[in-house]
Amino acid sequence: MAKRLFSVLTCLVFLFILGVGGAGAVTDGKIVIGHPACLSGKFAKAGEQATGGIKAIVKWVNEVYGGVSVGGKKLKLEYKYYDCESKKESVTSLLERLITVDKVDFTFAPYSSGLTLAGAPIAEKYGVIYMDHGGASDKIFKQGFTYIVQTIGPGSRYHEGTLDMLHKYAPNDKKLALVYEDSEFARAVMDGAREHAKKLGYEIVYEATYPKGVSDLTPLLSALKAKKPDIIIGGGHFVDGQLFNRQLADLDINPKALSLIAAATLPAFYDALGNLAEGVMGPSHWEYGVTYSEKAAKKAGLEWIGPSQDEFVKLFKEAVGKDIIPDYHAAEAGAAVLALVKGIEKAGSLDQDKVRKALGELKFMSFYGTWDIDETGKQVGHSMVDVQWQNGKRVIVWPEDAATGKLVYPMPTFAEKAKGKKALPK
Amino acid sequence: MKAKKYLPFIPVFVAYLALFLIGETVSGIWQLIAMLAFYCALGQAFNLFMGMTGYVDFGYVAFLGVGTYGMAITISKLYSHGLGFGLIAIGFALAIVMSVLLSLAVGAVALRLRGAYFAIATIGVNEGFRYLIEGAKLWNGSEGIIFSGPLRMAFGRQTATVLTTFAADVFVFIIALAAAFITLVYMRGKVGYALTALREDEDAAKVMGINVTKYKIIAFITSAALAGLLGASAWALKLTYVYPPDVFEITYTVEAIIIVLLGGAGTLLGPIVGGLVYGLSKYLLAIILPGFQLLIFAPVIIFIIVTFPEGLVGFVKLKTRGTWLENYIV
Repeated sequence: MAKRLFSVLTCLVFLFILGVGGAGAVTDGKIVIGHPACLSGKFAKAGEQATGGIKAIVKWVNEVYGGVSVGGKKLKLEYKYYDCESKKESVTSLLERLITVDKVDFTFAPYSSGLTLAGAPIAEKYGVIYMDHGGASDKIFKQGFTYIVQTIGPGSRYHEGTLDMLHKYAPNDKKLALVYEDSEFARAVMDGAREHAKKLGYEIVYEATYPKGVSDLTPLLSALKAKKPDIIIGGGHFVDGQLFNRQLADLDINPKALSLIAAATLPAFYDALGNLAEGVMGPSHWEYGVTYSEKAAKKAGLEWIGPSQDEFVKLFKEAVGKDIIPDYHAAEAGAAVLALVKGIEKAGSLDQDKVRKALGELKFMSFYGTWDIDETGKQVGHSMVDVQWQNGKRVIVWPEDAATGKLVYPMPTFAEKAKGKKALPK
Repeated sequence: MKAKKYLPFIPVFVAYLALFLIGETVSGIWQLIAMLAFYCALGQAFNLFMGMTGYVDFGYVAFLGVGTYGMAITISKLYSHGLGFGLIAIGFALAIVMSVLLSLAVGAVALRLRGAYFAIATIGVNEGFRYLIEGAKLWNGSEGIIFSGPLRMAFGRQTATVLTTFAADVFVFIIALAAAFITLVYMRGKVGYALTALREDEDAAKVMGINVTKYKIIAFITSAALAGLLGASAWALKLTYVYPPDVFEITYTVEAIIIVLLGGAGTLLGPIVGGLVYGLSKYLLAIILPGFQLLIFAPVIIFIIVTFPEGLVGFVKLKTRGTWLENYIV
């Protein structure tokens, strides 16, 4: 009995330490952001980027910007995070700990739509703002949550910019094919693309999905070939995107434009395909090299906040302690901090409802692009950037505010590319 | 004499009650307690089959997965019918039906196999079922079901919040207790004797006239039904969404195995101790060393398993044999 009693007592002591010992994070004079980050598990890579991006911007706000002005005082930001291991059980318990024990002022969602949804009821329960920087599903915002605020563009908008651009460059090429992977995310992109294409007057000549982990797209692409589309958009992940491109070349299907989500924006895509990737496009939330600037903000009549892109990259490298270029996961998490700072300053208070209201009315530009949400908290201001491989380099071709080069349209045919022709603007 | 059989339930009940009360009284740790209760319940339900038969089911998480779908389908389809709390009851019922059906299908094939062959056969179940849902576009396929909104429309904002952040966790406690109680009933009855015999030597048990397949199936179905309920409360009602890759995730099966082995396979108290040790140390390490906790966690697990090969409770059980405590620690 003594032993059992002892073990039960140890557990009790353990629990009380948890409940009481960790408390007392002083929130006077500073604003604390709490984040159940994904530092291990399946989203570890995105999680490292996101925490790096947040740390970089927190440092910028404290050291360059001088703190957040609230009621005549300049408050410093503090970032507190735990590792949720990319698991739903840990998200709920760590998020509650951040809110109740560590008494953070505002919270950040973990990565992915699923984990973001897992934490949302907790944030709602305590009425704390919950910044979604990595959950792209549109459905999150149809559930009636009040305190969730999105910075990443919703999945449905991934290919909107691409279509807008093509519509502008080639208004007469109307035959569009949609070929996506069958996954929650890619389907959301597809639904959004279909809707937007109809609005722009595109004729959808072919539409199909392929399963995850597909190893041969030939049957699908053969059917596609017969429809002779001008434009093909689709994709899902890296491996299938690469396969997609390669088999288009094998079957000598030559659309005038090809845009693949997730795959085409990665450097590894060109490494794997070489010249066959020339002229291929992909949408991205953000890419190193975008040209959003204070000037562009002024031109668009928007307020500007935050570091320039190069400052951000420098701060990011310091924060992660590695010489890596931040990707969009870092940029969107950083931009979410900037939005929060703006929202707090606009509200002039740390009151959750006031800040939430201010965020609803806020519209600004940062190195990440435009930020604006609708009444449900969904991001509607951010437009994706479109990159195109031109002569072995990723060139940002859309939107015009951010572009570093001109679109090459139509892209060279696969036969031309096999002979070494590059996609070069005229 | 009959009552004495159930004495070991007292420490189990006390442990869960203590856990519940701590969560209720100390502010701000309810979600932690909920996570611990989830791990205890997971171990408890898993132990019912693995601990008693010695068979390791690597596809176990699939039962939680279909249970989650049972609740998700019910709420997303029937929310507008004004069923009140009947909606939740139907959800649980459907979760049981679905997990039992799956366990019958799996059990009919896999339970004819033994040892490692059983384990290998079940590994595929989980992945296979996930691909079935995604490939056949069953229940919304890869898009999953998100039903936070429907839940709110059915019960109102206030009640929905209570359901997701409190009631769902209370259900987990109830499931854990039920699993422990059923384990004890089985242990003390004919099923338990048959299973003990087959665990020690399946051929000998057969020769003695025990219908081993029947008893294995009984334990398998019970364990699966409890898993279905657990999925319906801890994953569906609590998180209000389901994506196939999030629920059919083999990590949870591995966690269940670790919990049961840490505490002691085939013991009644084992899953509680295992669940608490596992859940708490993981949580604490995640707070103290975010990002590096698994590096430290792995050696800790190895150390415990090497020092206590029978599990923590198994060790205490051996030590208390012959004393009056033996009636309580099982």
